[in-house]
Amino acid sequence: MSEQGRTAPATGRTGPVDVVLVDDHLMFRTGVRASLDSRVRVVAEADDVPSAIAQVRAHTPPVVLLDVHLPGGDGGGGAEVITACADLLGATRFLALSVSDASEDVVSVIRAGARGYVTKAISGADLSDAVLRVADGDAVFSPRLAGFVLDAFGTAAGDVAIADDELDRLSAREREVMRLIARGYSYREVAAELFISIKTVETHVSAVLRKLQLSSRHELTRWAAARRLL
Amino acid sequence: MEIAADPVTPDRRPAPGGHAGRLPLRRPPGGRWFAGVAAGLAAHLGLPVRVVRLLLVLATLAGGTGLGLYVFLWVTVPTGDPASVAEDERPAALARLAPRLRSGQRTVPVTDIAVGLLLLAGAGLLVAVRNGVDVQLSWVVPTLILLAGTGLVWSQLDRVQRERWLSRAGGRTPVSLVRLVGGIVLVGIGVLLLIGQDEPVGVLVRSGAAALAVLAGAGLVLAPWGLRLVRELGDERAARAREAERADIAAHLHDSVLQTLALIRARADQPAEVARMARAQERELREWLYDDRSEPGTSLAAALRSVVAEVEDGRAVAIDAVVVGDRVPDADTEALLQATREALVNAVVHGRPPVSLYLEVAEDCVEVFVRDRGDGFDLDAVPSDRFGVRESIMGRVRRRGGTATVTSRPERGTEVHLRVPVRHPQRRDAEGWA
Repeated sequence: MSEQGRTAPATGRTGPVDVVLVDDHLMFRTGVRASLDSRVRVVAEADDVPSAIAQVRAHTPPVVLLDVHLPGGDGGGGAEVITACADLLGATRFLALSVSDASEDVVSVIRAGARGYVTKAISGADLSDAVLRVADGDAVFSPRLAGFVLDAFGTAAGDVAIADDELDRLSAREREVMRLIARGYSYREVAAELFISIKTVETHVSAVLRKLQLSSRHELTRWAAARRLL
Repeated sequence: MEIAADPVTPDRRPAPGGHAGRLPLRRPPGGRWFAGVAAGLAAHLGLPVRVVRLLLVLATLAGGTGLGLYVFLWVTVPTGDPASVAEDERPAALARLAPRLRSGQRTVPVTDIAVGLLLLAGAGLLVAVRNGVDVQLSWVVPTLILLAGTGLVWSQLDRVQRERWLSRAGGRTPVSLVRLVGGIVLVGIGVLLLIGQDEPVGVLVRSGAAALAVLAGAGLVLAPWGLRLVRELGDERAARAREAERADIAAHLHDSVLQTLALIRARADQPAEVARMARAQERELREWLYDDRSEPGTSLAAALRSVVAEVEDGRAVAIDAVVVGDRVPDADTEALLQATREALVNAVVHGRPPVSLYLEVAEDCVEVFVRDRGDGFDLDAVPSDRFGVRESIMGRVRRRGGTATVTSRPERGTEVHLRVPVRHPQRRDAEGWA
């Protein structure tokens, strides 16, 4: 996958990162468990909304790997789990995992507070990298998520944010970063391409994630609203 | 006012083991003389209409049973084309044909005939009175009013159902409401006059009020039950629509998925082939589940996806495609797509996976990036006789006034960047993303 070659972020951590794995398919959970490398340890699994909330509350792991579509609860799936654990968001971070490319799925979990979104086709090493990155508080953007961001925020010249605190538009630099990620560049490659540090790339990506979560931009809210109406 | 006709139509479902079963009992909109009962019966029983009509007339003459049967069926049997109803009963996927063209709506204007009959009856009455026959108006007038009211209400039965068939709006128009109320009032007056006969007006009014009070009470008691019935009807209809949708998807998908799984099991020893089939099936499934399938020729994104699918299937690799924006394809974007295909093939054959594809539709241009992780190649070092890159990628794009660049860096892979200006900005509201 395109995340390949992305170096694991430098951390001061010793030992593996604890993860709660939430997915309603046993086969997929088994596959993920087997493909994750030694830097990640699965401490618990859950297969529906109530058990996911219970497991996350019981373990408060640094990272939760969360399927977008989950049975049970009020039918809100992964987003419902994140909302129910909103008070833990400082200590526990959610990485969404889905086979779906549907934009409303992405929007609902990201806006609920997930720190990233990867598709289930991701390789084990890339997934482990993504988990570590999320554990460090960074955002994880797959090329598809970056493409979605560009689609939602617009690519026309008038869509560039002037001020930094504008929530409804991306800055020119953020857009550049998003375009490179959409083209399949890893964070490291983006940094080399733009002659900036990886840390700066991560800052930009986190800023985009924040805008994705807080923006009231029409396209985003429309998708979110359509989701709730279903 | 949908009357469930199940008791009268015991064999709506086609007989097992063949669809040559009996047509359901419906009153067809075409080929009817009066209310379509005879035509419907004929279609249901497989008899000529003429025979059915003759039998009905004979039965009517012999004691009135024919008329009774006719009226009973008129009330209980819903309208509809028996043939298309029979098709609706079959699994949705099997009946995706266009609804059969209905040959001419009812040939005989029922309303005109009814009015004519009424006028004839009136004329006959007048003639009879003129000739000295002692017609008791106290009997005739209420009867006429009663008939008129009943006719008005019953004409409603057909109309409401027809409207529902056509628009499914379910709402009753004010006119139809007026008809209904008017009919009921007429019937009420007719009954009062008929029963009251020579009673004084005061008694009539009082008994009318008493009857109304009883009716209102009964309505109050029955209202919750009626409401629940209506709601259950709506639920059932929604459930049926869902069922049809599910059957549709099942027929289209499960077949191909099961087939692919069987193929994969048969060729488990050929990893490349298995990966290719799995990937192709995944794409098909994804398209069905998540995409709003767009009309051919209206979406550049869809065209690009089919190019990607072609290359993936041909070379057994996965291409990570991201599309931002969309537009209607034209000659310029067609050239760009051809060049993109060549670039993808080039990346798959000469480069190293993973291969990434990014397409961005802007107001004034369309850009494509094709990236692989191979060592790349020096464009100047490519001999000019190698047609591939130079002509099929660069030439195509440059002839359209675009630019094509290849960036190759050791350990950073190779990226082909194609950019074609587009003349008519017609960016669509892009909701989907690949």
